[in-house]
Amino acid sequence: MAQIGSFALLLALALGVYSFLAGLVALIGQDQGYERLGETARRAGIVTFAAVLLAAVVLVAAAFHDDFSIAYIFHHSNRDLSAPYKFAVLWSGQEGSLLFWSLLLAAYGFVLRLRNKTDPRLFAYASVVLAGVQVFFLLLVNFAANPFGLLQGSIPADGSGLNPLLQYPEMVIHPPMLYLGYVGFTVPFAFALGALIMKYPGEKWIHITRRWTMVTWGFLTCGIFLGAHWAYSVLGWGGYWGWDPVENASLMPWLTGTAFLHSVMMQEKRGMLKVWNMWLVFATFWLAILGTFLTRSGIISSVHAFAQSSIGGWFAWFLGISFAVFLFFFLKNKSHLRGEHKLESLISRESSFLFNNLLFVLLCFTVLWGTWFPKISELVQGNQVTVGGPFYNRVAIPVALLLLLLTALGPLLAWRKTSFESLKRNFFWPAVGAVAVAIFLVITPQSWGSVFGLKPWKDISYFYSLMAVGLCTLVTFTVASEFYRGGRVIAKHTGQGMFASMVQLTHRNTRRYGGYIVHFGVVVVIIGFAGAAFNQDKEQEMGYGDKMTIGSYTLICRSYTDEENPNYSSQWAILDVYKGGKQIDTLTPERRFYHASQQTSTMPYIRSTLNEDLYLVYEGLNQDNGHPILKAHLNPLVMWIWMGVWIILAGTILALVPNAPAPVRVAAPKLVETAAPVGAGD
Amino acid sequence: MNFAICAAATVAALVYVFYLPGKLFLGPKNTRASYLRERKEAVYENLRDLNFEYKAGKLPEADYQSLKSSLQDEAATILAEIARLESAAPAQSRRAKV
Repeated sequence: MAQIGSFALLLALALGVYSFLAGLVALIGQDQGYERLGETARRAGIVTFAAVLLAAVVLVAAAFHDDFSIAYIFHHSNRDLSAPYKFAVLWSGQEGSLLFWSLLLAAYGFVLRLRNKTDPRLFAYASVVLAGVQVFFLLLVNFAANPFGLLQGSIPADGSGLNPLLQYPEMVIHPPMLYLGYVGFTVPFAFALGALIMKYPGEKWIHITRRWTMVTWGFLTCGIFLGAHWAYSVLGWGGYWGWDPVENASLMPWLTGTAFLHSVMMQEKRGMLKVWNMWLVFATFWLAILGTFLTRSGIISSVHAFAQSSIGGWFAWFLGISFAVFLFFFLKNKSHLRGEHKLESLISRESSFLFNNLLFVLLCFTVLWGTWFPKISELVQGNQVTVGGPFYNRVAIPVALLLLLLTALGPLLAWRKTSFESLKRNFFWPAVGAVAVAIFLVITPQSWGSVFGLKPWKDISYFYSLMAVGLCTLVTFTVASEFYRGGRVIAKHTGQGMFASMVQLTHRNTRRYGGYIVHFGVVVVIIGFAGAAFNQDKEQEMGYGDKMTIGSYTLICRSYTDEENPNYSSQWAILDVYKGGKQIDTLTPERRFYHASQQTSTMPYIRSTLNEDLYLVYEGLNQDNGHPILKAHLNPLVMWIWMGVWIILAGTILALVPNAPAPVRVAAPKLVETAAPVGAGD
Repeated sequence: MNFAICAAATVAALVYVFYLPGKLFLGPKNTRASYLRERKEAVYENLRDLNFEYKAGKLPEADYQSLKSSLQDEAATILAEIARLESAAPAQSRRAKV
């Protein structure tokens, strides 16, 4: 089995190299009739996918057949591992996940090369760029991290097992989602670099990649939040985001990718920010590679780093080469990226996008700096200085609040310039509504719930929470007013009801109104984040009948016990939960010991409601009296985060739906006889 | 068995890559005119958006007229250049034939 896998990887490498080199030669000699050579390069790229797929199938089959002669299978699987986790073995270790990266890239390349009739020349350039990236990953899996390496000596009867932290249902889908996001950003980058190299006239590459970028962004968003949910449900520290380097690695390309999704509209609509967008696409791709490097190299210590290896040098070279190639073509062809218009006013849709982008990039730079600071300090001082949550929060919270303000303002501003009267007309009532909600939150009694009776002067975190909720209200009102005003116009023209008109409105411009739904999802997520200011926790030893009180809950230990199964043994407690003197639930937090890997793992029990999460962790046994030690966390509004993500994904999917045709006609303007040429595109 | 699978995979890959019957589709070449037509569509789209926002009551009359006029000027400039390029193209192809 290992022989077929190794051969498939070598074949994929040969095809990838051919696709890259033949494609390159065909592009250099495209005026001398090298089209047939270019076609063979395209086809080689297509077959690369088949070869990498064969290798991946062989690796998964080896996991299911418990083929412990393959070192990777021995280290990441065992006989009693359940089927979904055996499938997940493909991305559970370094070698497998690099193969998985290659597979996803080859799959994206496969789709791209099949769709080349849209614009064969542009696709040929993009195909060569993709092949270049593909060759790098195939070199890695062939020579630096081969998943089909054989185990030395006699073949053991059982494997070492999968890391217990990874034995959780979300771990079966979190890495693929994240990787689909990381890898997917290679496609817009390939088109952008291709368009730059060939001095592509116009913005068609953006239209082609728009859906790729949105799909990729959706996958990355989904991957990041699945990771947050996994951390919350498995790591047992009561939080969902710890500014861990590997979490940061996924956040950085998401930030630049989000900035790109906004600024690209300026290029499409107004022919502006071409240089900026080119760099944003490159930065997003580059940060995605950097993220893979961070996750897989173990260069910076992290609770998520499931690998320590020597592939860092390969990545450093690739990151350096890709930067040099991009910089070379940028300097060579930057005159082609001349903008067609200049910023006309500071109060305009363009400026709101510009500020939005600057904030996203500032946040990304902060995260990048904080992530690499331990390594930099080690190089300079000889010891690693880690930076924690407070460092990031000092920048991230104010930036997020400003971004919320721009999210509210942006849709109300006109392109080019907005008069004060227009701003007042659109902004006044949403602002009044937001202020009213903020005042309401301050004057209501605390007994109403976690976010009521806020006293912003008592603590800066309360102040931030109040600001966040106020701004979220503002965004909600502006989004609602966009739907209402648009729906009213359609209702007036068609005589339909308001709801039907709003549905039609959304269908006419799915990207815009899908985007507003994404904004609303972000609002819901931010409200969930704002709840963190009111978190409480308590740790206590709990014998039979012992009580613990946290918030409005009383926990009584009914029993504690242990259990055995072939994969792990576990200890757990049974606690009755009372609220207002009435029993409302029974919770069973657990601690597991996995036999194969000889590692322990906590399985917190979370009682989730719209208002708050009661989060219980079984910390272990008191060795003196055998009583379990339990830690309880009360985390307000966490469920809002997961609900918000669903709304974000629904909005993203909606934005991908093609528009219904617009019936409004525009009168053709008269020709201008003596006009200056329009922008770039020569 | 393993050798047979590997050999069959290699032969299938080589046949697919190098056997190219028929003519290739190369697509139209992108020119300045095609770029301008793209820009024209973008400006028309902007005009449609502007009209809709005006009808939705988001823009005062003065702002609307000013923005509409600047977009129409932009569209007119693009149309003029397209017209110039299209009138020059037949002349060039006639010269080429001579």
